[in-house]
Amino acid sequence: MSSVAQRGALIGARTAPARTRVSVKVRHRRMVTALALVVLAFVMLPFGWLLQMSFRPNDDIFGYELAFRPTLEHYAALWTGGFPRSFLNSVLASSLSTLLALLIGTPAAYAMARWQFRGKRQVGLWILATRMAPPIAFTIPFFLAYRWLGLLDTVPGLVLIYLTFNLALVIWMMQTFFAGVPRTLEEAAWIDGCSVWGAFVRITLPLTAPGLAATAVLCFIFSWNDFFYALILTRTNAQTAPVAIVNFIQYEGWEWGKIAAGGSLVMLPVILFTLLVRRYLVRGLTAGGVKD
Amino acid sequence: MAVAAAPRRSWEEERRRAFFWGLAPALLVLLAITLAPAVYLLVTSLTPLNLTNPAQTATDFSDPLRNYREALDDPRFVNSVWVQVKLSLATVTAQILVGLGIALLLNARSRVLEAVRTAFLIPMVLPPIVVALIWKVVYTPDVSPMHRLLEALEMPVRSLITRADTALWAIAVADTWQWFPFTMLIILAALQMIPDEPLEAAEIDGAGAWQRFWYVVLPYIRPAIVVAALFRLIDSVKAFPLIYVLTNGGPGQVTEVTNYFAFVQAFNFSYWGYAAAIATMLVAGVFLLSWMIGRLDQAGQRDE
Repeated sequence: MSSVAQRGALIGARTAPARTRVSVKVRHRRMVTALALVVLAFVMLPFGWLLQMSFRPNDDIFGYELAFRPTLEHYAALWTGGFPRSFLNSVLASSLSTLLALLIGTPAAYAMARWQFRGKRQVGLWILATRMAPPIAFTIPFFLAYRWLGLLDTVPGLVLIYLTFNLALVIWMMQTFFAGVPRTLEEAAWIDGCSVWGAFVRITLPLTAPGLAATAVLCFIFSWNDFFYALILTRTNAQTAPVAIVNFIQYEGWEWGKIAAGGSLVMLPVILFTLLVRRYLVRGLTAGGVKD
Repeated sequence: MAVAAAPRRSWEEERRRAFFWGLAPALLVLLAITLAPAVYLLVTSLTPLNLTNPAQTATDFSDPLRNYREALDDPRFVNSVWVQVKLSLATVTAQILVGLGIALLLNARSRVLEAVRTAFLIPMVLPPIVVALIWKVVYTPDVSPMHRLLEALEMPVRSLITRADTALWAIAVADTWQWFPFTMLIILAALQMIPDEPLEAAEIDGAGAWQRFWYVVLPYIRPAIVVAALFRLIDSVKAFPLIYVLTNGGPGQVTEVTNYFAFVQAFNFSYWGYAAAIATMLVAGVFLLSWMIGRLDQAGQRDE
């Protein structure tokens, strides 16, 4: 009995200091977490402010009490104006450009990942360079060319110029995903009678499906977020949602509620997609900056 | 053996042919939409192209370097370069400091912190036009929570974006808010690759938190900081929606960066040849910076 008690005391003596050290660590971690949450709240404040403005009734738009009666009047006003159409244009231009970029870019990325050819490094640099070039360098020649081709203020015109960044992104990102698929699988498929592209479609592509989805989402977000190209290359027919918001600032003045509602609608799909693919997002957002 | 070898060689051959046809369309499209416009831009920069008289001005190469000469003598262009330098240096420095601080704060394995990390990405993925609207609200005294707070503290200030001495810094703050997640991500990735041993050894040797950061952590993440800074430096040249919505380049020209200046010359004044020359110089500057990244990257690999 006494020996058990002794042993218990011994264990207690041994574990007691360890326990206080652990609790110091836990307390430290809790403080860090609390601090991170405070910083996050502070950083998100301007963002949250725009969101609450979109629900604030017009007669109280300059108010700042958080207890107000939320209203959907601004969203309703947007729905009856020209905004739905520009929203649709945004959806069309972004998804078509994403599809086209995947269609052309995926086989190219596969070839880049598997094929050691002369000039491969140069092609890689060239693709990276298109990501670096400032958009103004593309808009001037595209605007002049579109005047001749009749592509100004059209959705196909936007789809084409969005390819300048989407195609590079697809080739850049999908390469790393394809490199992760062992080539022995493809060889086995070949021996079983698959053609090269047959093996690609049946074996390699399904294995990289999550990467493909993430790449598609990033292409969509980058096209959706575009403001500069759409501002210059569209007027009324193919006007996208971001340009529409700026336009009703110019024509209707600073109607804060409506502007906030428009902004909130434009950022909604982006926020949803971000939460959906956050694991792969980091790789795409830092493309070229971090070595995989 | 011979039977097994024959199909393998033809597999390699077949693959090479397939790869060629997989790569060719993408390269052709890229050629058409990136290289051709670049050449067209360069050619246009050698002409006095003006859309009120395109037939004559588009192919007038009588004085090819005129636009470049004029730009160097144009005080508005020189001013725009200075504005760009000031804005770029201020935002890159602020983004590195804020990004580093938050990355250090979030560098621990915990569910909550991981969720916080995702939330911090929001400013960076938001449509730039929404970021611009958010900050327009912050800088408009009528609706701004910041101005409310300052009034409550009896320190009212005029709108920061309408004053010549604060407008550029107001934009720098908004730009920092939008892009610190980028530097945070890259620094965080580097922090997570630091092995535990040197930090533990330093702790046993009695190094304080500050010493551990300065002598152990910082040397590990220095290359990441440099890469993040250069990437942000390159992208800072693209700043547009913030300036377009917040200040329109004003008051006067205190927030008119080179990118915005080129936009105004082309789309407001229709001086296309001149704008093309400025855009060409911008591209040259950006590529010079990119080349430096490549050099640093190679030097870093040699160190390893």
